[in-house]
Amino acid sequence: MDFFHFPHHHSSQSVAHFALFRDVKNSQALRKRIIAAATIEGADGDQEREAVNFAFIDARLITGRLHLQTAISQAILADSQGAIRTKSVHSEILWALNPTNNITEALRRYGVSDTTTDLIVVRVGEANLDSAKIQELMEEVVLGKMVPFSELKNITDWSPIKKYHKLIGEVAVQESKGNISRERAIVDNIVISTVAVKTVMA
Amino acid sequence: MASASLDLIAASTQISQGAEAKVYKGSLTQGAPFILLKYRFKKQYRHPSLDALLTRSRVAGEARALLKCLRSGVNVPGVRMVDASEGILGIEWIDGKSVRKLLPGGAEDEEEEEDDEVLEENGEPMKEYGISVDTLMSLIGIEIAKMHLADVVHGDLTTSNMMLRLPKPNQSTTELVLIDFGLSYISTLVEDKAVDLYVLERAFASTHPDSEPLFTSVLTAYGTRLGSEWHAISRRLDDVRLRGRKRSMVG
Repeated sequence: MDFFHFPHHHSSQSVAHFALFRDVKNSQALRKRIIAAATIEGADGDQEREAVNFAFIDARLITGRLHLQTAISQAILADSQGAIRTKSVHSEILWALNPTNNITEALRRYGVSDTTTDLIVVRVGEANLDSAKIQELMEEVVLGKMVPFSELKNITDWSPIKKYHKLIGEVAVQESKGNISRERAIVDNIVISTVAVKTVMA
Repeated sequence: MASASLDLIAASTQISQGAEAKVYKGSLTQGAPFILLKYRFKKQYRHPSLDALLTRSRVAGEARALLKCLRSGVNVPGVRMVDASEGILGIEWIDGKSVRKLLPGGAEDEEEEEDDEVLEENGEPMKEYGISVDTLMSLIGIEIAKMHLADVVHGDLTTSNMMLRLPKPNQSTTELVLIDFGLSYISTLVEDKAVDLYVLERAFASTHPDSEPLFTSVLTAYGTRLGSEWHAISRRLDDVRLRGRKRSMVG
């Protein structure tokens, strides 16, 4: 369990708690649950929506801590300006991660799918929320093993990342061929920058 | 509280100010790497709606040019945040020095705060970067060529808008980074690229005394990297030298 504190954002959403889960067993059920929660009416619906009120991100597509931080911070920024393009700040994080403007595609690629086994779970909220409580809520929805975020380096899958960002033919990537650590550093920087620039890409 | 991004600016340290923007060093969250914030503040002399429109499109243009350069393998700072409505662009903090300060003559009117540093380094300003002036010139030529091959025209090439990144202990190659894409645009025209080089040539001549041989080695490296297009640009550069930056507009 880890968090980002953005002191410049309003205290109602200045903290983002996040955790990395491995060996997730219930991804299919989780995906169905998130979709179902959207249509339940009344108090039950509110309760169910609150239970899944997180961003569930496929960890394979995240290159590192700064990548996640940039997506979260741009999503909170858009929300604070009333400029989110999706229904919530959490889905906005997924939208920010995907290089195109297609919301369905963003959710399908970066969200939880039936085969997801490694998940990053994010909750944007008030500065004074109790992190133990949030961890409890996360563990209630995700059946998996919470591991330190630094394990992400063993999970990141660079080939779909390059594919989704259309980087395979790009000069920067071609030039660093054969030098894996250099290529990854370059892809990491491009991917982070793409997230940051997203709101002003035509 | 007016806006999150303005609070971010308020919490950051101002390092410089120009007519168009103020520049700050800051951080989005504790433990994250430093970023450089370029804040295009509101201009009181413009109508508010025109001001908002211009600011927005300039921040967007600069951010897009940086991304295009990154994808094309040009060394530029990565983008870290964009708030186009407030006019804020956050980019990667580059640890290093501007080329202007590293070359003779460039440090002259920078006497504020830094005088002891400059004095101490006067003999061998580039020692800690581990390269010779000649290598530096070819790095400049190569970086500009890579940028022009991507059809990005910088619009304000000067030795102040280039930085040498301080090499990390484990790394042997020194990186030259192009900065300030505020006036950049996309163009495939030979004319635009030749003018880009001409602007740099004039900047060299006016900032660094006796720098003709330096600029010649910049051009040599540029031409080698650019390949077949170099011939046309070289000829056009000769034309531009005779008439100046502006094409004559008659009528």
